[in-house]
Amino acid sequence: MSVLLRPGAQDLRLIGFYLGKVLLGLGLVMLVPAVVAVAMQEWNSASAFVIGASLCIIVAMFSDARLATRRPLTWAHGMVIVALAWLIGAIFAAIPMYLGGRFSDFLGALFEGMSGLTTTGMSVIHDLDHTPVSEDLYRHLLQISGGLGIVIVVLSLFAAGGARIATLYAAEARDERILPNVIRTARFIFQVAGTFGVLGIGALFIALWNGGFTPGRAIYHAVNLFFASFATGGFSTMQASMIYYHSASVELIVALLMLAGTLSFGLHFALWRGDPREVFRHIETRTLVVTTSAFFLIMCFGLLRGGTYDTTESLLRKGLFTLISAASSTGHQVNVGDSYLTDWGVLAPAALVGAMAIGGMASSTAGGIKAIRIGLAWKTLVHDIRKILLPESALVVTQYHAGKRHILRADTSRAATTVLLLFTLTFMIGAVGALVYGDLDITQTLFEAVSIGSNIGISIGVVAPEMPNGLMAVYIVMMWLGRLEYVAVFALLGYLFSLSRGRAKT
Amino acid sequence: MVVPLTALAIVVAGIVALEAAAPTAEPTDRSVQGLPPLGIEDDRPCRRVVDDQTVMEIRESFTQGERVSSTQVFRCPAAFDELMVTYAGEVVGDVLERRGGAWVQVNDDAYALETGPLIDHRQRSGFNTGLSVWLPDGLHERIEGVGNAEQRGDVILVRGILDRTDPNDGGGLTVRAEEIEILAPVTEFEDPFHTLQAMVAGLLAMLALVSVVWARRVARR
Repeated sequence: MSVLLRPGAQDLRLIGFYLGKVLLGLGLVMLVPAVVAVAMQEWNSASAFVIGASLCIIVAMFSDARLATRRPLTWAHGMVIVALAWLIGAIFAAIPMYLGGRFSDFLGALFEGMSGLTTTGMSVIHDLDHTPVSEDLYRHLLQISGGLGIVIVVLSLFAAGGARIATLYAAEARDERILPNVIRTARFIFQVAGTFGVLGIGALFIALWNGGFTPGRAIYHAVNLFFASFATGGFSTMQASMIYYHSASVELIVALLMLAGTLSFGLHFALWRGDPREVFRHIETRTLVVTTSAFFLIMCFGLLRGGTYDTTESLLRKGLFTLISAASSTGHQVNVGDSYLTDWGVLAPAALVGAMAIGGMASSTAGGIKAIRIGLAWKTLVHDIRKILLPESALVVTQYHAGKRHILRADTSRAATTVLLLFTLTFMIGAVGALVYGDLDITQTLFEAVSIGSNIGISIGVVAPEMPNGLMAVYIVMMWLGRLEYVAVFALLGYLFSLSRGRAKT
Repeated sequence: MVVPLTALAIVVAGIVALEAAAPTAEPTDRSVQGLPPLGIEDDRPCRRVVDDQTVMEIRESFTQGERVSSTQVFRCPAAFDELMVTYAGEVVGDVLERRGGAWVQVNDDAYALETGPLIDHRQRSGFNTGLSVWLPDGLHERIEGVGNAEQRGDVILVRGILDRTDPNDGGGLTVRAEEIEILAPVTEFEDPFHTLQAMVAGLLAMLALVSVVWARRVARR
């Protein structure tokens, strides 16, 4: 019989200490828009950011002074810290947003904060097109912070000892360690983001300037577009999203950034060291190529059959871009939300839902079930069918390539299919839950539930500032679950249970 | 567990109270004058192929040249495809000059036509909504100001052809303007300074600095 041990004061102290570090990072992020607000003379926004940053720093300093400990982190600690960090981080991130006055209530600001950090990109902000520059920048900064993995990035900067925080790396749904040392891994992630940042912002600046923007506005849009695209976030500076730019070259650059964002950092490392063959051999690349191609064919068939678009350019700029946006889990929109319902027929939105559900690669900035799990689930299915068809005495071995050649084992298959099942269950709960509210139909609620649960952000119109608070709360939980891929949240629930029911440690 | 949760609840309650104390103006007399009435009140949604009957009904009840709203167009784009429409709204963001004309985003939401932007008031009316409008050379030069965090842009009345899948915009939904009229010029609004919020910010910033010094001293010990 197993004995459930109640976490002691020292465990809680350790968790509080690391949570403080994460809040310190968030506070420093808030200081960036605070400076911009002062420069732009957006005084109320500046004071809102100072309040948010100060509260984060005060809590961080208190935890630093009172909770500092040299106790090592266990796997359970790591899971609980990460699960709580994303929840508390979203609450603190919501503070300056709410003070900006553009949300119906604090829950709305929390939705926006969670959507930003989890790189979902759904928004419930009122009157985005008149939002101050600093507040808009802040929304996009949250996305790049969340996309790179705020917990691991912050802790690798402020906490000592790579080995101690290694457990947090896995807890933050990053299962592929690129370099032996987590701090070096985090530095490499920064290096990749920095390189793409310089190239992406530069290319976008030229395209936007060429597209009629003034230099000042071009740099503002380029920076925000880069944050939202590489982080596979999907927030936009204008309510019209990508429609606003009327530019094929901007759409092309953004599509490339979205693809770069959805590539796992492990594959970025392979490219970095000059091994492009690794990218094409990897099970995730192959899975994404096959699934995205299939969804594109279905989408084209649906759009052409319904007469939605009749030119190749339209199919590419409206269809393919949207599919890349969905498959990369970004959520940039080149179509008005209603059009998926009114103008796209049935087949094309179904293809989008499929691409959104799968999402991008593991250990990338992307969300969704992840290509590795779909690939492994498919390999498991083929493996089982081969076992049935071959003689009983035959030894069936299935291999896959992910960094190196692996043999498919039962526990790997079980882990992949379990998470796949949990995602599917969440999509169903979200879809049915939304049906309870008002006059939505299953097409709308399922589309939105998959988009939210996979941290995508393409909306069919269910998410809006006026949506019921109950539904908003359900969606907040779904974004949190989707980003952490369940395990860390289950660990947190187990921890809370053992706090109330467990036996005290002796 | 109880102490941090209580502290968090107090912080959130304080933030909510602070936001509620923000000085605001009453958004009166900001409705745009001279707006023609909408051609039809019908804003039923229609699904391609499935609701062809609805598309036909809306299309037949609409007389070319009458005013439409962006909501009506988005809910049933096929009903207005390639028709001459009148559309009114605020120019927001940027005037994107290209060869032969310029693209502008024209919003016809409540912030554009009724209450004014959410700058100095808290009358929240949801998302922005609007159409992309192509203004050929000779028309876009008349735009004097665009909407942003400090002002409502020019409110214009556009007469043009609505295209559900404009081939010159990669299949986007656009209005190709043939003539425009300025209904209301650009209007600036001042965001009233939130003195209490500034004082709280100053106090918390000082506390944050003190806490940094305190934490460093404790760490040195």
